[in-house]
Amino acid sequence: MRDYSLFIPEFIAGGLAAAIIAAELFWPSIRRETLAYLTALAAVAWGVASLFYAGNDPESFQGLIQIDNFTTFFRLMGAGIVAVVALLSAQFLSGRTKTASEYYGLLLVAGCAMVYMASARELITAYIALELLSFCLYILVGYLKRDNLSSEASLKYILLGAFSSAIFLYGMSLIYGVTHSTYYDEIASSLASRSADTGQAAVVGFMLILAGVGFKVSAAPFQWWAPDAYEGAPLPVTAFLSTLSKAAGFALIIRLFTSALTPDAVEWRWAVAIVAGVTMTMGNLVAIQQTSMKRLIAYSSIGQVGYMLVVLAAIGWGDQEVGRNASTTLLLHLTGYVLSTLALFAALTAYFNRTGKDTITGMRGMAETQPFLAMVITVSLFSFAGLPFFAGFATKLFMFQASITGDLLWLVGLAVLNSFISLYYYLMVIRQMYLFNPEEGLTRFKVSPVLWATAGVLMLGVIFIGSYPAPAFEAAERATETLFEQGPSLEATAR
Amino acid sequence: MVPLENYLALSGILFSIGFYGVLARRNAVLILMSIELMLNAVSLNFIAFAAYLDPDRIIGAIFAVFVITVAAAEVGLALAIVIRLFRNRATSNVDDAAIMKW
Repeated sequence: MRDYSLFIPEFIAGGLAAAIIAAELFWPSIRRETLAYLTALAAVAWGVASLFYAGNDPESFQGLIQIDNFTTFFRLMGAGIVAVVALLSAQFLSGRTKTASEYYGLLLVAGCAMVYMASARELITAYIALELLSFCLYILVGYLKRDNLSSEASLKYILLGAFSSAIFLYGMSLIYGVTHSTYYDEIASSLASRSADTGQAAVVGFMLILAGVGFKVSAAPFQWWAPDAYEGAPLPVTAFLSTLSKAAGFALIIRLFTSALTPDAVEWRWAVAIVAGVTMTMGNLVAIQQTSMKRLIAYSSIGQVGYMLVVLAAIGWGDQEVGRNASTTLLLHLTGYVLSTLALFAALTAYFNRTGKDTITGMRGMAETQPFLAMVITVSLFSFAGLPFFAGFATKLFMFQASITGDLLWLVGLAVLNSFISLYYYLMVIRQMYLFNPEEGLTRFKVSPVLWATAGVLMLGVIFIGSYPAPAFEAAERATETLFEQGPSLEATAR
Repeated sequence: MVPLENYLALSGILFSIGFYGVLARRNAVLILMSIELMLNAVSLNFIAFAAYLDPDRIIGAIFAVFVITVAAAEVGLALAIVIRLFRNRATSNVDDAAIMKW
């Protein structure tokens, strides 16, 4: 049955995106900051509309798209990210570009793309949603047209992104050849009963798919685009890249791997474990020698992706119970990570708007010039490193606990070791802020109230999840319950 | 009838040539053309599988139509970005686009 009412939240977001673009077209004198606040309002409307779907029974659109609690979870996360990034861009963009409406429209469209990535239960749909998100991001990264860094970053991103899509597609074509279907359920059932002579094609297909999605979430050894794209992009877009595109990539990965590829987990789980180990080690070690704050965050987020891939390995190794717990904690960790990253970028944007500095040494003496921003940055860096009372501690603890199965102990140990390494370079930033005097001529300044409030609210969120994770954990638990319920769960457990 | 293996071999060769081109070429436009080769290999794969293994539903052929459409959009966007870089810097060589390293 065609039930278009399932997509009302995306109709709202997409329609308002078009309205925002039209607003500047027909009313060129509109203030850019007004557009930003309108976008934030549109995102809030989108989030509120999606709340009506929370807790409903899963409903499927032609078997292509499934609206369930998992989708609702990512709808809310997407709406939150878009709203915050729009608020961050308000001051940043004015004065840097001639037009801004396409920027805000693309933020909303990228949010919708994320929802379709999270809800797709069919390969064509997943691919189109992935490309929609990627296209929005290519444009957003290169949005500062006159800026050399921005266009260079955009070029590198689109060339490597298109390359990775081709690899991903070739993997999908092999899986289609093995299973004769692109629907996740049918893929799972034919993988469970496939004949032995298709084994090689299936393995190559899994590896290519893993490489393709690894590119999108910037897992090693496919992470080379990430630091350049992060550094060249406008600061709020860097925030967008490191939150929304990562969350969307993992939404797609969880849905695809749990509902389609688990029957053949033996064939891909070792590769996932290796990729996870290499990713976190590489990200954290290279982060140590960075001088640019954006590149530091890029490498630290690569490290975080490594931790999250541990969960995927656990889904492959454990039984259904382990898989479900692990994916719940992945959603929880993703929430904490998104909150911490957005808080960090809210503070960085406020500082950059005033001083134009985004290097690590440029942050020296921030505790004197702007103690509030220094505190927000400290809280989010501590949260990344996983210190107690901040989100990263609780979520990482749950995540590693859920992922420990007999064969993965070494990987979890490596992840804990990596957390210690990461603490070093986070503390280097904090040292610059607290132990050095500010540069000549920099005195205490005030930040715009919107950014101040955004950073404050996000920081409270980080502390709240860190000290009382129960509500977020329950939400994540309800989001994953439908993932493992329907579909060929019998075959999945009998593997 | 031509056996399926021939199609798969051709598509494998096309994909490998494209893969090599992406790694070896230094001009952004040539890299894009190599990516097109890879996508054509994918389409060929999908159509061959659809015709031989899934003749009732031909999902693969539908997928190929989507791949072609998205590839066209992708090239349009990428060329726009290349032109942007060219205006800023008068080059389309990716080795010159290297302000940022490590």
